[in-house]
Order: sequence, then C-alpha cells, then structure tokens
Amino acid sequence: MKNLNFWNRKLHIHLGLFLLLFIWLFSISGLLLNHGSWEFASFWEQRKQKESVTEMTLPAGLDSAGLLHMVMGKLEISGEVTNVKYSADAFDFRVGSPGFGRDLHIDLAKGTVSQKEYELNVWGKIRTLHTFNGVDKNDIDKQANWVITQVWRFAMDGIAVALIFLCVSSWIMWYKIRKDYNWSAAVLIAGFLTSFYFVYLIRMF
Amino acid sequence: MKRYCALLRSLHLYFGLFITPFVLIFSISVLVFNHPGFIDFLSPIKPSTETRTKLDKIPYDTTDLLTAKAIIEKLEIEGEIDFINQNDDRISFPVKKPGLKTQITVNKHTDSVLITQQNEGAYRALTFLHSMPGAHNVKIRGNSSYIQVWRVLADVVVYLLLFLTISGVFLWYFLKVERNFGFFSIALGLIIFTSLLLIIF
Repeated sequence: MKNLNFWNRKLHIHLGLFLLLFIWLFSISGLLLNHGSWEFASFWEQRKQKESVTEMTLPAGLDSAGLLHMVMGKLEISGEVTNVKYSADAFDFRVGSPGFGRDLHIDLAKGTVSQKEYELNVWGKIRTLHTFNGVDKNDIDKQANWVITQVWRFAMDGIAVALIFLCVSSWIMWYKIRKDYNWSAAVLIAGFLTSFYFVYLIRMF
Repeated sequence: MKRYCALLRSLHLYFGLFITPFVLIFSISVLVFNHPGFIDFLSPIKPSTETRTKLDKIPYDTTDLLTAKAIIEKLEIEGEIDFINQNDDRISFPVKKPGLKTQITVNKHTDSVLITQQNEGAYRALTFLHSMPGAHNVKIRGNSSYIQVWRVLADVVVYLLLFLTISGVFLWYFLKVERNFGFFSIALGLIIFTSLLLIIF
C-alpha cells in the first residue's frame, strides 16, 4: 500500500507536469470554441484566401485514388482528404489540416486543377486543433487518411487517458489525507452529483 | 513563498476534487469522439420511437426560435433547440438533452406534429456535453436553462483546471525531492508538444 501511494503521488506530479502545455492548449481552445463572440479570436473573418488554377497533364486510366495522389504530389500539398466527389468529367475534394483548408476541382476534360485555399490566424489554428481527429460523423467507419491526423488523434487519446489517471490518482491521494480536510468529501460528492445529473438524470425528467 | 503552500495545497485539493468528475466527462468523451465505431459496438443506439399529434394556435408570425419554443412548450418537451429548419410548408428542429434527441416536425398547413425520440445513451451524453455550448448556432445557443448552467460550469471547470496547473507547478517547485525530475518531465512534455505542432504545421 505504501508503495502504491508513493508511485501514485510521483506519477501524479510528473504526469501533470508533462501534460502542462497540452492542458493549456485544450483549455484555451475549449474556451475559444465556447466563446465565438470574443473579438480578438474572430479568426474566420480574418482568414486569408487565395484562388488559383494550374494546368496539369492528367494521365488516362488512373483511378480516383491514383489521380488524387498524383495531383496532391504535383501541387506539393498534404492533409486530411474529405468531401470526395467524382463524376465523368470532374473530380472534387477537400484537403484540410488544422487552420488550413483547400477545395480542389479537377476538370478532367480541360486538364486543369482549380484551388480555393484559406488559412486561419493563430487563434483559428489553436481552435481547430481541439476538434481535428479525422472522424466523419456521417461515415464513422471511415479512417483518417493523413498520417498526421492519426498521430494527433493518438496524442489526444493519450492525453485523455492521462487525465483520467490524474483524476483517479487524486482520489487515492485524497483518501489518505481526507480527515485533514473537513469539507473535501462534500466537495467531491457535489462534483459527482452535478455531473451525474447532467449525464444521466437530466434526460429522465 | 513557502507560507502560501498550505493555502495553495488546500485550494489545489478542493478545486481538484470538485472538477475531477467533469474532467472525466471531458476525457472519456474525447475517446468517444475519436472512436465512434467502437462506441457504436459497445452501446448501439436504440431504435427511435415515433409519436404523432396535433397542435393549435402555433405562432408562426414571430422568430423561428420563438415559434419552436412555443411548440415544445405546448408539447411539454424540454431541452436545447439545436437548430431550426423552416419553409412555407413545415418547421423542423431537434430538441436535445444529453443522451436524448427529439426531432420535431410540424406541418404548417395542418399543425400536425411528428415527434421522433431517440435515446442515445450515456456515452453520447458525454460527447454532447463536451460539445456544448460550442461554436455552432451561436445566435440561438443557450435557449434552455440547463445549457445556460452548463455553459457556466464548463467555463468554471476550464478556469479551475488552469488554476490547478499553475498551483501544481508551484507546489511541485517547493518539493525539493521531486524538483530535478520535474524539470525533466516538463522538458519532455515541451519537446513532444513542440514536435507535434511542428509536424502538424
């Protein structure tokens, strides 16, 4: 038991220190998401936009995936590919990364690639990091197709698990010293009851 | 500075204990957001139920939100109106509570109402709470009292979490036995954090 308390406390301290910047990032981006009216962070109005058309020789016989990779390679762009639409004479898709978005339209008959790009300011980039996981709500079986999306999602999973550990470890530490803090049990119960109300009870009444 | 340690330790403990259940909501919901397929396997969404009814005296000559609010009041349904679709023939909107989605569609010519209710379960309740109030439909967000309360709670949790990080650093710094290794933990976090941002941008 002494060993458990010793390592639990040590891990709580050092994992907390390790996560410091991640907690700040997700806290600030969470506040930005919940306060869209904060003017200093109004990133969408301040986005930079650019449009361009590039002529390109498109080899016949390429399937949609091959064409997509070829165009992205030639334009030297990378990111999470979404909104893919394919027709007989055109191919549309979007390439996104936190703070950047690019809609591409490939005209197969003319051999041109039109791009509409936008870049958000630093607040926009911070905010997008909060939600950037490559998950398509309408197609939950679809996997992230950009390796960096997968890395970031893995990092988010890791941070979430580490935060769960920090919570559990704090209860273990508190339990040992609970008698020294008169109102601590009441405070913990108040937190639990409030969250239990929001997660379970609210939909029953 | 050491004399502030006892006070800071108490605040760290009390604030920390209070927000741990909320931090669990935010953390578990991250896993649900990132792995929706697994959550569907773990907790499949139950089939929705449909109810039909008829209302009278629905005020269409006002804002979309007030019309929707009048409808849910007559139907005795409570919750946050997520967004509203309205045209000449019908008005349709989802009313949400954590883990419970009620879709309401009203035929404006006949005042007949179709209510579709879906119990989405506790996991999706967590993701709903995580995403509220959020960045979408800002103009109508907070049209229910529980979201107004949750908005304040979510902010309080974030500010307390920020306080906990600062007080935690302070408390660690005065623990001589952990000081050296603590610098290593901060440096490791800094390196991984910076590396991740560098590969993303």
